[in-house]
Amino acid sequence: MRSIIEVGDMKLGREGDLLVTHALGSCLGLMVYDPVAKIGGLLHAMLPLSKVNPRKAGENPFMFVDTGVPEMFKALYEIGGQKMRMIVKSAGCGNPMGKNDMFKIGERNYAVLKKLLSKNNVQLDSEDVGGTASRTVHFNLATGQVIISKNGQRWEL
Amino acid sequence: MAKVESFPGMPQAAGKLLSLLNNPKVSVNEIEELLRYDPGLTANVLKLANSAYFGLSSKIGSVKQAVILLGSRKLIQLVLASCVHGVMEKPVPGYDLPPGELWRHSVAVAVTAEALVRELKISGVDIIFTAALLHDVGKLALGEFIKDEMEKIQEAVADGLSFEMAEQNVLGTHHAEVGELILKNWFLPSEILNAVKSHHTPDAVEAPHNLTDIVHVADVLSLMIGIGMGSEGLQYQLSDAAIDRLGLESFQLEMIASQTLQWVSELSDALQEAGVK
Repeated sequence: MRSIIEVGDMKLGREGDLLVTHALGSCLGLMVYDPVAKIGGLLHAMLPLSKVNPRKAGENPFMFVDTGVPEMFKALYEIGGQKMRMIVKSAGCGNPMGKNDMFKIGERNYAVLKKLLSKNNVQLDSEDVGGTASRTVHFNLATGQVIISKNGQRWEL
Repeated sequence: MAKVESFPGMPQAAGKLLSLLNNPKVSVNEIEELLRYDPGLTANVLKLANSAYFGLSSKIGSVKQAVILLGSRKLIQLVLASCVHGVMEKPVPGYDLPPGELWRHSVAVAVTAEALVRELKISGVDIIFTAALLHDVGKLALGEFIKDEMEKIQEAVADGLSFEMAEQNVLGTHHAEVGELILKNWFLPSEILNAVKSHHTPDAVEAPHNLTDIVHVADVLSLMIGIGMGSEGLQYQLSDAAIDRLGLESFQLEMIASQTLQWVSELSDALQEAGVK
């Protein structure tokens, strides 16, 4: 089944499912796959830290990287995923032109992700982050293949 | 530019309301008088006022009540929004925007801009909603042209030009300028025209204006969170000066971003329901 993941959401799937997310700008797209169980999840998180709006994070942890990533791993463990087998890929985290730090939300999203992963001894296998382009992700859960579309081109991550 | 002139104008129902926007002190009586002969528009006003977006606890039964609770200028702008919904919902192929996406982006920039005004306690910009809602109408007219020139524009972008500069180089104009051209026929206050024209270049104006700075910031933020981000991605130059002029802080920006999606969905529902056929 093909499922679309909106901004501030996460979906799980298994063999036969295709997880798709569009218009990754400064948001983080995180694709996690267990090749043995053939299950995976795709997170589309908007902002780095939940402390800017704890009430919102309570309603929807997937809005933020610091709450969304742990929730996603937890959900994967619940359906049989194992940490040692997880293949983790990231996309998005872009920024508009200019040097303004305040608007580098993409950069902050990526920094929070890296910190979380290293604290938990999880490797990032591959990534396509930064820049100004809009990205679309197709994540095939039969193979774990992640296809990125950007500027009219497609390639495997 | 023949295409621009043949662009659908403002729906008739909104015409008289627009003229009221030029008057900062429009009275309840004037609005009531205008709506008296238009039961369709009156029904729209009441549906909008009673929508979840405003979260008013008591039910609003008359135009007078709606004006008192929401303010006359706010009410006019919302009715206007319900009138332009049909035109702005169309797909914009050149910019890679599927049906409804330009509209969703416009609503996102409008609610983000209003949130910035509230958060930063900026006064004298009560027409911000309309300026923000209409900032990208130029894309509707340019969409057809840009389709054929996209390769050249993307080459200019690859050389490091911002998207509207790339449009300017290839087409001789850009979507913000075309937007202003279209809206000139709509009898809008001049501050709105300026904000539309300069929403990517808020420093290139003679006198910087809060209205333009706010639309600039709200637009970039909405694109960043993926609402209405098409072929141009985030290829726009952010103005540090505009951010300084507004006195915006990082936590305010992210706080607003965290609520934008909810506001967009509530207001879109309300406007769709109240839409003029």
